[in-house]
Amino acid sequence: MTHQGLGEFEQMVLLAIAHLRGEAYGIPIVEEIDRRTGRSVARAAVYITLRRLEEKGFVSSWMSDPTPERGGKPRRYVKLTSDGARALREARQVAERMWNGLDPASLRAR
Amino acid sequence: MSAPSRPPRLPRILLRHALPEDTRDVVDGDLHELYMTRRATSGAAAAATWYWLQTLSFTMRFTLDRVARVIRSLAGGDATPSGLDLKLGARMLAKSPGLTLVGGFGMAIGVALAAGAYAFFNSYFYPELPLHEGDRIVALGKFDPKRQREDEQLLHDFRVWQRELRSVVDLGAFLTIQRNLVSETGQGEPIKIAEMTASGFRLTRVPPLLGRTLIDADERSGAPRVVVIGYDVWQSQFAGDQAIVGREIRIGRDAHTIVGVMPRGFRFPINHQYWIPLRFDPRVPVAPGTGPNLDVFGRLARGVTREAAQAELSAIGRHLAAEGPKELAHLEPRVVPYVDIFVNAEAENESTTYALMRFLIAFLLVVVAMNVAVLVYARTVTRTGEIAVRTALGATRGRIVSQLFAEAFVLSGISAAVGLGIVAIGLRMFDDYIASSGGGPFWIDAGISLGTILYTVMLAVLGAVIVGVFPALRATGAQLREAIGSMGSGTKARLGPTWTALIIAQVAIAVAILPPALLKGGQMVQLALQKPGFATGEYLSTQFLVDRDVEASTDSIAARAAMDSSRAIVKKLVERIATEPGVVGVTVTSSDPWGGGHDRVEVDRADGPSERVGYSTVDTSYFRLFGVRVLAGRGFGAADAALPGNQRPVIVNRSFVTELIGGGDPIGRRIRYLSDGDEVNPWHTIVGVVEDFPAGIVNPAERSVRGMYHLAMPGEWDRAKLTIRLRGQTPEAFAPTLRRTAMSIDPMLQLNGTTSLYATYRENTRAAAQLALVIALISGSVLLLSAAGIHALMSFTVNQRRREIGIRSALGGSTRRILTSVLARATRQLTLGVGIGLTMAVVLDLAAGGELMNGTGLLLVPGTAAFMLVVGLIAAAGPARRGLRVQPTEALRAE
Repeated sequence: MTHQGLGEFEQMVLLAIAHLRGEAYGIPIVEEIDRRTGRSVARAAVYITLRRLEEKGFVSSWMSDPTPERGGKPRRYVKLTSDGARALREARQVAERMWNGLDPASLRAR
Repeated sequence: MSAPSRPPRLPRILLRHALPEDTRDVVDGDLHELYMTRRATSGAAAAATWYWLQTLSFTMRFTLDRVARVIRSLAGGDATPSGLDLKLGARMLAKSPGLTLVGGFGMAIGVALAAGAYAFFNSYFYPELPLHEGDRIVALGKFDPKRQREDEQLLHDFRVWQRELRSVVDLGAFLTIQRNLVSETGQGEPIKIAEMTASGFRLTRVPPLLGRTLIDADERSGAPRVVVIGYDVWQSQFAGDQAIVGREIRIGRDAHTIVGVMPRGFRFPINHQYWIPLRFDPRVPVAPGTGPNLDVFGRLARGVTREAAQAELSAIGRHLAAEGPKELAHLEPRVVPYVDIFVNAEAENESTTYALMRFLIAFLLVVVAMNVAVLVYARTVTRTGEIAVRTALGATRGRIVSQLFAEAFVLSGISAAVGLGIVAIGLRMFDDYIASSGGGPFWIDAGISLGTILYTVMLAVLGAVIVGVFPALRATGAQLREAIGSMGSGTKARLGPTWTALIIAQVAIAVAILPPALLKGGQMVQLALQKPGFATGEYLSTQFLVDRDVEASTDSIAARAAMDSSRAIVKKLVERIATEPGVVGVTVTSSDPWGGGHDRVEVDRADGPSERVGYSTVDTSYFRLFGVRVLAGRGFGAADAALPGNQRPVIVNRSFVTELIGGGDPIGRRIRYLSDGDEVNPWHTIVGVVEDFPAGIVNPAERSVRGMYHLAMPGEWDRAKLTIRLRGQTPEAFAPTLRRTAMSIDPMLQLNGTTSLYATYRENTRAAAQLALVIALISGSVLLLSAAGIHALMSFTVNQRRREIGIRSALGGSTRRILTSVLARATRQLTLGVGIGLTMAVVLDLAAGGELMNGTGLLLVPGTAAFMLVVGLIAAAGPARRGLRVQPTEALRAE
């Protein structure tokens, strides 16, 4: 992975954010990944990744107003930046180039 | 507005510490939101467990992320510690077994202390109430600011609160009584029972496992007598009988019908397994500040905060105070979290003790950490050459730091695991002790909680950072460049004035802290090794108590009559037991032969100051029964017993005569207790002297066995110690006869802790031995670490001067002068440390009013000081002698 490349987990988090269309914060992101992959991910790992993605400039965030059902704490909503969107598209292209022309028979276990 | 329930406090605090600032609030909020949802769907316990697991996961992942970030920032990428680093670390530890053992042992003790203190304080002083919305359960009381304690005669207020208070619902009260549970074979076993209002069960929201809980109708006087039992006794006493509901059991004099069984773990209000209704006849008026001691509890009404409840209670209190008697007007009614009424009220009174304890534990930790860091640093510095080579070969600073961190982490991780094991054993020992003395409150969980494990993991990481990263950063800093520059001419590193200060501090702390610890440990060993000096195996002893079942009565005439009848019961018991076959004699006393109180007394016509003496109360057969010889005068007789209590004579022991009367004739002299107030205590005439008994037992803290005996007859007690001397049968074999006899006289006569004096004594010494072990472990590890630390520092500083020593010797300096100059410097540092330590010891002892050293402890101070001096000098002498052996040519060439 190059320095500005995307890891598999980072891709999943970015895609979840894209799916959530402006309603993305910690809880729904975890749920989205769980729902779509059928795997249960470590919540803490998602928050660490979000922090890293923001440092890389792939997502930007803003705070909501604090609410009582959250113990008076705000939500941090995130959305993809143009860099983030580009990184996702690149990752997909790379994967597609690798898949292109692959004979399904060559995946069969021998 | 409603104060919503929150996630458990402890993990929240941990989490806030573990998370970076920019993420803290967000994670806190998200977890809060999820916690509330889970709580609504799966209940509080499941939600709390989930929250703890999340805390564990977040703390570990974010801590690792943080470490990785620091290392990446130092290294630019290649610095995350790897499995290979850990393997290398383990190998390095095996290479220097001395350092590993000493450092590891010290760290294990340090971790055990810190994690143990953490587990203890949290479960005892900041517990979570394991009940539904436990944080909304409160206790109501009246605090007496003059006497600094709770006033518990709350019956009058309780009735008013029941009528008027709106902000607290399910208001209830309980008191604990002890009664005999009478078995079918007629033997009695004392049990603790909560006399509780039915609202107590509503408050907990715990449904019964079988049958029903208490209901309001049970509280009416004249209602059938019913009892609800707990899961544990259902299993142990009734073999888990499914058809238990409706069965009758005898508690004291009365038959009670079992109406329900509570589920496992239910022990509300404190640690109860039997519940009967609390009955107060509402037609009988109760004056304020009278009646039985009650604890009052309730649940904050929906949407009410504790502050609002307090405001309402205070308003009612002002109203009551205006109407009630003046001497009660200063009491402050208050609403506190439920547990506080039992725990923190006491903690407040002894807050200085707890603060001191915490300080000492923290202080010990600092000493331990400092020493281990010094040890590791001294070694790391010797590896400067190796580090320099690796740097020259292209290793980044971060790479090297991460390697050293991994090495330290192997050590601290193993130590932490050992420390946690020690904590687990310690907690279990403590739990056993609590269980043997009747069990602890239901909210205490003495096991190793997830929180404690988490805390220990953090300690291990912290330990590795202190022990590995700091020395590594220093070793790879400015000194490294110097080392690279001088590669080939040996390593060169400097220990500046900081290290001199460290040596001095090291010695000072050891000299000041160790003697009191050694003294305390020595005293405990002494206690554990003592033998009582008489055949304890021939005696059966029991603590008896006649329960005066005066139902919530404030009637003093009834109480008086009950007292008289209880005493008659005791008299009958003693007479009946004395006639049983195999019984040599019976005595009733205030305590075991080695128990009793201590107080200051003065002797008339004596010039000396008042002295502390031991005292106990015995009957006329005591000395004969234990074979205690009367040395002068006479023993107690029937004529003495005929006198009123305050005119009765006393008997003193031999040490009393030697130490307080200077060996003169004591018969006819008088003694009295010093009083703290204006009241003057009566004089008691000495009529006899007995030998010191038990001869083999000296309470080391009192340093003397001087004692005196008062007289009280069996019919004058309603609770005391009954001791029976047996011949031809063991105490254990006689115990059932004793229990049956007691039950046949009166079912309200309770016998507690019926066991041989031998077993009682063993139990006493076991506690002393365990305490001695703990103290020895702690002070031993501090001493060992201090000695190792001083040794490392000393040899290091002298080592640095080896070349200087060699050159001086090459230039023809005399061996003696060189050695003297090196040792003189070491001696100066050590002496300064000893001086400061001595001053600290004296100041600490004075501050503690002489209690800390207890006189003899001061004798240990010079010993500790000498030990530290010798260790330091030996450490300095070795390298100095090696320096002298360096060939002059070699020393000069190196220069």
